[in-house]
Amino acid sequence: MAFPVSEEATDQLAQWPQRARALFAELLDDAGSDLQREFIQRAVAAAHTPAEVHAFADELRGMSDEEAYEACTLNESAPEDYTVTQLLRAEADPLFAFELMGGRIEPNEDQHSSSGFIPPRRALDTIELEAVAPLDAVAAAVSKKKSSDSFEADSPGTRVKKLDWNDLPSNRPAPQKKDAGPSSSNGTRFLESLLAEATRGLAISWKEQDVDVPGGLTMADALASAAGALSRGIPVPCAVGPAPGDHRRFIVLMQLNTSGKNRAWQLYDPFSSELLWANEGDLLAKAELPFANKLNRRLTRIVLPQSLRSTF
Amino acid sequence: MAPVKSQPSTPFASRELNGEVLLEELGDLRNAQVPQKLLSDLVVGLRDLEGVRVSEAAMRLKQLAANRFSATPSLASLLVRWAAKLKVEADVPLLISHFERLAITAAIVASVRRASDSLKGGGR
Repeated sequence: MAFPVSEEATDQLAQWPQRARALFAELLDDAGSDLQREFIQRAVAAAHTPAEVHAFADELRGMSDEEAYEACTLNESAPEDYTVTQLLRAEADPLFAFELMGGRIEPNEDQHSSSGFIPPRRALDTIELEAVAPLDAVAAAVSKKKSSDSFEADSPGTRVKKLDWNDLPSNRPAPQKKDAGPSSSNGTRFLESLLAEATRGLAISWKEQDVDVPGGLTMADALASAAGALSRGIPVPCAVGPAPGDHRRFIVLMQLNTSGKNRAWQLYDPFSSELLWANEGDLLAKAELPFANKLNRRLTRIVLPQSLRSTF
Repeated sequence: MAPVKSQPSTPFASRELNGEVLLEELGDLRNAQVPQKLLSDLVVGLRDLEGVRVSEAAMRLKQLAANRFSATPSLASLLVRWAAKLKVEADVPLLISHFERLAITAAIVASVRRASDSLKGGGR
């Protein structure tokens, strides 16, 4: 049975792989009520991944409408320390609200291949989170924060501390440490912590993964994930080298350009200042990259932005 | 019926907006030793421009340049230059996205330079 789907959700679904779209239709079919279907499509519209939407729908299915509404709505019982921006976002994104309210989902990214498929967002709408006193101060903060406000009037010195997802209230269990992922050469992660530090103000975290080594990403999956990041406006650092696991130089994937069936990636080498376009077919075929230094012939590692949905 | 979206003006429709153009700007900012913190602050400030009219966006860019970033001439002049290029509504989100990419790319390049010594052969 076909259910009506909002324009925003339809926009997001257009970016999903065919298999994931079929899954979405099944999730709507299986949902126990119109409310659950509404929550599912709002989660899609909020650009969650297919795996996250799937896990969210699984959680909802076991709930009555009252329980689902309670679990996905912030109300007077919203715990302390949530920020204005988080509260506002929770109104539009039931999955985000579900997590804020202490709910947990366990997306199975492996099952949803293009395994790194990340739906694109219109822009990187990360927000600098400002801690405010809860509830009674929230109303005051909302009324004070007009759209015309800018940070000009809000000097860094007067800002209260920035808040990260990990600073959220104590009534939710600490997130389980995921598998550390594939080991890099000698287990070294070169960039994760440096990037996390450098992009802290933009609320981005990163995960470094080898390409085409056992336990790592395949080239196709690495590129699929990178495409998702670029479509959200986030360039992707990579390592290149002569063979898998042999990292010789860092480069940056700057852009992805699609023309008909062809996709071209723009690569930037900050050390040689080379900026060039490479056909996706050549990247997938591990053909020689067009850099002057022919040792740097293929991608060997990729550093993907992570946990964006949790950080704004 | 959905409203017809306007096409971005030429500078914003360029394929190299977030390629060559961005890297040139990044080079200028790096030469001027603009700190990453300022770029992040700029991105946060520009998010307020989402959905505002072109004329107001341009005015607020100039205000940012004249007030918040007046002590950083390279960044202020970049803002003023882009303010003058805003022509249609579709340009505004593209400009916000451009500055977000600029800030993220600056962070990536700085991190990559610091990390490169860890690679075989010094990574250079």
